[in-house]
Amino acid sequence: MRPEFYKVLASPVLWGILILAAPLPFLLPSYYLHIVILSLVYVALASSWNIVGGMAGQISLAHSLFIGTGAMLSTALLLKLGINMWVGLLISAAISAMLAAMIAWIDYRFRLGHLSFVLITLAFAEMGGLVVEGWDFLGGASGLLLPRDTGHFLDFQFGGSHGAFWVMLLLAVVCVLVNVAILNAPLGYYLRTIRDNENAARAIGVNVLRYKVAAMVISAVLASIVGTAYVRYLTFADPYLLISPVITIEIVLFATVGGLGSAFGPALGALLLVPLGEILRGQLGGVLPGLHYFIYGIVVIAVILITPQGLLPLFERLWKRRPGAAATRPPTVAP
Amino acid sequence: MALLEVEKVTKRFGGLVALNDVSFSVAQGEILGIIGPNGAGKTTLFSAISGFAPPSSGDVRFDGTSIVGVLPDRLVRRGLIRSFQIVQTFADMTTLDVVTTAALTRRPIREAIDYAAHVLGRVGLAGKEHLTPLTLSLQDKKLLELAKCLATDPRCILLDEVMAGLTMAETDKPIAVVRELNRQGVTIVMVEHVMPVIMQLATRMVVINFGEKIAEGSPADIVKDQHVIDAYFGEHLDA
Repeated sequence: MRPEFYKVLASPVLWGILILAAPLPFLLPSYYLHIVILSLVYVALASSWNIVGGMAGQISLAHSLFIGTGAMLSTALLLKLGINMWVGLLISAAISAMLAAMIAWIDYRFRLGHLSFVLITLAFAEMGGLVVEGWDFLGGASGLLLPRDTGHFLDFQFGGSHGAFWVMLLLAVVCVLVNVAILNAPLGYYLRTIRDNENAARAIGVNVLRYKVAAMVISAVLASIVGTAYVRYLTFADPYLLISPVITIEIVLFATVGGLGSAFGPALGALLLVPLGEILRGQLGGVLPGLHYFIYGIVVIAVILITPQGLLPLFERLWKRRPGAAATRPPTVAP
Repeated sequence: MALLEVEKVTKRFGGLVALNDVSFSVAQGEILGIIGPNGAGKTTLFSAISGFAPPSSGDVRFDGTSIVGVLPDRLVRRGLIRSFQIVQTFADMTTLDVVTTAALTRRPIREAIDYAAHVLGRVGLAGKEHLTPLTLSLQDKKLLELAKCLATDPRCILLDEVMAGLTMAETDKPIAVVRELNRQGVTIVMVEHVMPVIMQLATRMVVINFGEKIAEGSPADIVKDQHVIDAYFGEHLDA
């Protein structure tokens, strides 16, 4: 691990944000708290997707498969078999890991190009959706309803939105820190070479299969865990929300707008776009149906045109150019 | 003992025979030069040895064991690495990152970063650690290819035209690096078009034409060999 990772861990900014954020559930009205929780869910999901999509450069549309496994399977295990949801979380994560390893292996074995990889992962995501819809054990098309959250921690209950906020804050931080850790570890180097040039990566000793599988599995396990926590917050395991490729598209969008491949970019994208989307919907949804989508789309297109590398590089540049920044300040000449 | 043995290697692409029954061996510590006209099969030979395009038939042995079908990255770990004629670049990484990745083959990350910086200095790329390879000049890109190979601590390097496209003055640096490497015991097999370079460096040479080995010997003998002269300058009209 490079020392940079420990610098981030020990960074006062990180801990400052956490300390400031911790009391938010007591300060925010429930509507805004919901938006914040949703943002954190997407921070975690976009960051987990970034490991495959950003660092390894493989646009995987299978993320909903892992989120859905974490959500639907853990719920079904609890409702149909009475399996504790903590155990369900682990079982779903293990199954997500296996699915992820299988997809990565198929990609490697059949040397899928970029487009084929996108389509194959989409096909797996769709298959996941069909399995859930067609199998009553997983709730079928009507979904599953979890028992009310009474705050029993041992039953994977966190006491409604207050608890959900802290759980999601924790998961979001963990997912971002996993990104930071990978970028500062050999895996980060390997994934970046694989993204840029698979053959050249192999030529300098990178085991392409092993690290592609590693990236996919880490990404899937995180997504699955977030899926389980998310469904606990929603209480209703809705297949059309949780195992639909639409959720993946949103994640890809947030990560791209924020900055692919960087540790904080996807988090930034989710933190800006989720509230923007929700607030636009709240303000304009009743004025003219679809208007909020229209404005949201324009904002996203504008961001991509202005800064194709994402918002994070743009912010970094602005930060360096701020008044008083040491690095770029022209040398002052004594009068 | 021979470190690298190529035995009756044939490579077919469909109906095209790119390599036909090529055999030679490379002793530990040697610098073997491989020459031949364009399209003779030199790069194909390197691909066949290094695991990128395994031979259709024949055997390649490294350190006494067959390496046919072993993946390139495993070969790098065993100490056999190749460079590419067409420089392989990584768009979003600095030269230091690229060489660090190569150094990770045998070192933990912090050591790998220090070692990569050291290797970049050694090939003459000091001060260019934080540039992306795409912005480097051709000469520097070739030096980066060399640095990538060095950083993996190889026992044997296959160099594919690392001097091609450079001016004579620009070849000084890579030549010095190759010499020094060889003095440290690294075995070198190099494909090269630039004859003065290979004449200076190689201890022995193999000549390939139309996928077949047509001559083998010391550089001094090779330039006098009639087959080689024919291959390079065309045959005499004896009629």
